[in-house]
Amino acid sequence: MIRALTTRRTEMAPFLLLLPAIATMLFVVALPLVFSLWTSLTPYKLTKPDTLYDFIWFRNYIRIFADWDFWEAFLRTIAFLTVAINLEFALGLGIALLINKITWGQRGLRTIMMFPMMFSPILVGFQFKFLFNDHIGVVNNALQSLGLTDQAIPWLVDANLAMFSITLAEVWMSTSVFAILLLAGLFAMPRDPLEAARVDGCNPWQVFRHITLPFLMPFAYIAMAIRSLDVARAYDLVAVMTDGGPAGRTELLWTLIARTGYDEAKMGQANAMAYISTILSVLFTWHFYRKLVAARRYMGGAE
Amino acid sequence: MKLKATLVLGTALVALALPATAQDYGTFDGYTLRVKLIGGAQYEPLYAEIPKWEAATGAKVEIVSSKNHFELDKEIKQDIAAGTLDWCVGSNHTSFAPQYGDIYIDLNGVIAPEVIADFVPLAISQSTVNDRLVQLPRHSDVSNLFYQKSLYEDEANKTGFKEKYGYDLAPPETWNQVKDQAIFFSNPPDFYGFQFVGKDEAVNGRFYEMLVANGGAMFDENWNPTFNSAAGVEALQFFVDLYEAKAVPVGVPNYTWDDTGLGFASGSIALNLDWGGWSTFFNDPANSKVAGNVGLVRAPMGSGGKRTGWSGSHSFSITEGCDNKEAAASFLTFLTSYDNQMVEARKGLLPTRTQVWVDAIAEFEGAGNAFSAEVMKTFQTSMAEDAFTPPLIPEWIEVSNVMWPKLQAAIVGDMTAQEALDAAQAEAAVIMSDAGYN
Repeated sequence: MIRALTTRRTEMAPFLLLLPAIATMLFVVALPLVFSLWTSLTPYKLTKPDTLYDFIWFRNYIRIFADWDFWEAFLRTIAFLTVAINLEFALGLGIALLINKITWGQRGLRTIMMFPMMFSPILVGFQFKFLFNDHIGVVNNALQSLGLTDQAIPWLVDANLAMFSITLAEVWMSTSVFAILLLAGLFAMPRDPLEAARVDGCNPWQVFRHITLPFLMPFAYIAMAIRSLDVARAYDLVAVMTDGGPAGRTELLWTLIARTGYDEAKMGQANAMAYISTILSVLFTWHFYRKLVAARRYMGGAE
Repeated sequence: MKLKATLVLGTALVALALPATAQDYGTFDGYTLRVKLIGGAQYEPLYAEIPKWEAATGAKVEIVSSKNHFELDKEIKQDIAAGTLDWCVGSNHTSFAPQYGDIYIDLNGVIAPEVIADFVPLAISQSTVNDRLVQLPRHSDVSNLFYQKSLYEDEANKTGFKEKYGYDLAPPETWNQVKDQAIFFSNPPDFYGFQFVGKDEAVNGRFYEMLVANGGAMFDENWNPTFNSAAGVEALQFFVDLYEAKAVPVGVPNYTWDDTGLGFASGSIALNLDWGGWSTFFNDPANSKVAGNVGLVRAPMGSGGKRTGWSGSHSFSITEGCDNKEAAASFLTFLTSYDNQMVEARKGLLPTRTQVWVDAIAEFEGAGNAFSAEVMKTFQTSMAEDAFTPPLIPEWIEVSNVMWPKLQAAIVGDMTAQEALDAAQAEAAVIMSDAGYN
C-alpha cells in the first residue's frame, strides 16, 4: 500500500514540479484566448460591459463570412505579406553577402544597418507619409524638379502606388532583420565545403547556388516565420500612412480589426475577425516551419 | 528669528493677496486628484497653470495619462470595459461624450449655476447629453475660410475671373463661388484653389456640414439615415467635382488636419477651410509663407442658405466613481476659469466664456494685433450663429466609420455620389437598427 503510494507520488512529481509553469501558461495564454473566444460569440461592446453576457452563437462569424470588405482585407494582407517578405529576403540576402565580404568597418556597418529597426513604426509611418505627400512631399518635388514628371503623382491614393509606398516603408524598416540573421548564418558557415567546391572547379555562382544558399535557408525560414507574424499584424505604419484608405484600397486585417474593436467599440465582432485572421498566421508559420525542417534535412543529406 | 518673521510676514501677505485675485477653490489638504488630460503642444500652457490650483487648495494633481484625443478615447473605452475608472477628471469632447453612457456625472448642481451662466449658452447646450451636462466646455472649435489676400487684389485675376464667370472676384460667400474660384486659381501641380481633409471622421464632418448647409439632414425624426437625399448628393458632388477638376491636390483622400494646415502655410493653396487654432500659425513668418497675406471670411453658405459650421468643444468631465467630486468640481472650475481661458485665448484657442471673447478681442486690438482681433471676431460670430454639432448619439462614430470609406470611393471615382451614399445609408441603417432605434 505504502509502496503504491510512493510510486504514485514519484510519478506525480514531474507534474507537480511543472504545475507553476502550467498555471502561468493557463493564466497568461489560455485564459485570454478562451475569454476572447467567448467575446467573439457575444455582441460585446467596450462601452457596454453588460453585453459580454449576451450569447449570440456564431452571428459575428456569419456576418464576417458574408462581408466582402473583410475578405478583401484578408487577401490584401496575404499579398502584402508575400511581397514584403520576399523583397526583404532578397535585399537582406544581398546586404548580408556584401557585408560578409567587407574586412574593415564591418561592425560599424552592422550597427548602422540596424538603425531603421530602432525607430518606432509610427515615426516611420509619419516619415514616409510626408515623403510621399503628393503636394508638399519630397519625392514628388524631387521628381518635378528633375523634370521627370510634371504631374503630382498620387503615391498614397492610387491603389497600386499606395500599396507600393506602404511596402517600401515596411521593407525599409525591416530588411535588416533578414540581413542580420542571414549574416549570422554566413558567420557560422564552415569553410571546408566552400574550399572543396572551389578546388573542384565550381564558379562563384555555383558555390553560392549549391552551397551557400542551402546552408542559409534554415536561417531564412526562421526570419520568414518571425517576419510573417510581424507583417500579418502590421498596423501602426499603415494606420499612420493611409489608415486603410482611400476607399479601403489599402485596408489590411489589423487596420480593420482595430477600427472595429476600438473606434466602434465592437470588441466582440473584432475578436471574431481576429480569430479568423490568426488562421492566416498559423498557416504561414506552419508553412515556414515545414520548409525549415525540409531545408535542414536537405543540409543533413548534403553532409 | 528674523528669517522666521519674514517668512510669517510673507505667508500672511500671500494669504491676503489670494482672495483678491482668485476665486475660492476650497481646501482639500493632502488629497490627490487623478486626472486624464488631452496632450499636445497647444493644450499644455493651461496645464502649466495647475500648480496655482494646487497651491490654493492644498491638493495635488496626478496626471495619470496625457494623450491625443483618439488615443485617450481608446483608453477610456478600455477603462469602461475593465472597470478601471479609478480617476476623477478626464478630458472629453462633444463628439465623443455621447458614447460614454453614464460614466460621467451631471455637472448641474456640482458646478455653481453662476459659473455655468458665464459660458456661451450654445457651448453649454452642445455639452448636454440627454439633459445632463456631462462636460464643462474648455474651448470651442469651428472652421472658417482662410484665403490668400494677394490673389483677390491682383488685377489680372479680377478681369480674368469676371470674363469667365460673369461676376466680380471677391472672397466667397457661397460654396458654389468657392468651386468657381478654386477651379479658376488652380494650376496643378504647383498651385491649387482648394483642399479638404479626405479621411476618417474628418471627411465625414466636412460632408455632414455641407449636407446641413444644403438643407439636408443625417437622420429623420425616427433616426432613419437620410443623408443619401438630393442635398446629400449635392454635398458629396462638391468634393467630387473639385477632385475631378484637379482644383485640389490629388492626395487629399489621404489628408488629415496637419496636411491641410501645412499645405496652406506652404503658400500653394488659395482657399482653406480650417479651424481657428491654425490662425496664429498661418500668420507667423517663421512657419508660413503666407504670413501677412492671410484673409479670413465666415464659412460660406450652401444651397440651403445656411453656412457650414461643423463644431465641437473640448471639455472636462468628472467620473461617476470619483471619490471627491467637490475637489474635482473645483478643479474643473479652475481649468475653465476666466483667467485660464484668457491664457488659452492668447494662444489662439476659441474661448467658451462670453466675457473672454470680449476681453480677448479688446486685448488684441489694444496691442495693435489687428489680424488676431479680426480672427477672434469672425470666429465669435460663427460660434454664435453658425455652429452645430454632429448628432449627439453614441452611434455617431460608428456611423461615421461606415460613411467615410464610401465618401472616399466617390471622390476617387470608384462610385458615383448617389451609389456611394446609398451604400453608406444601407450600412448606417443596420447600425441604427442594431442599436434599437427603429
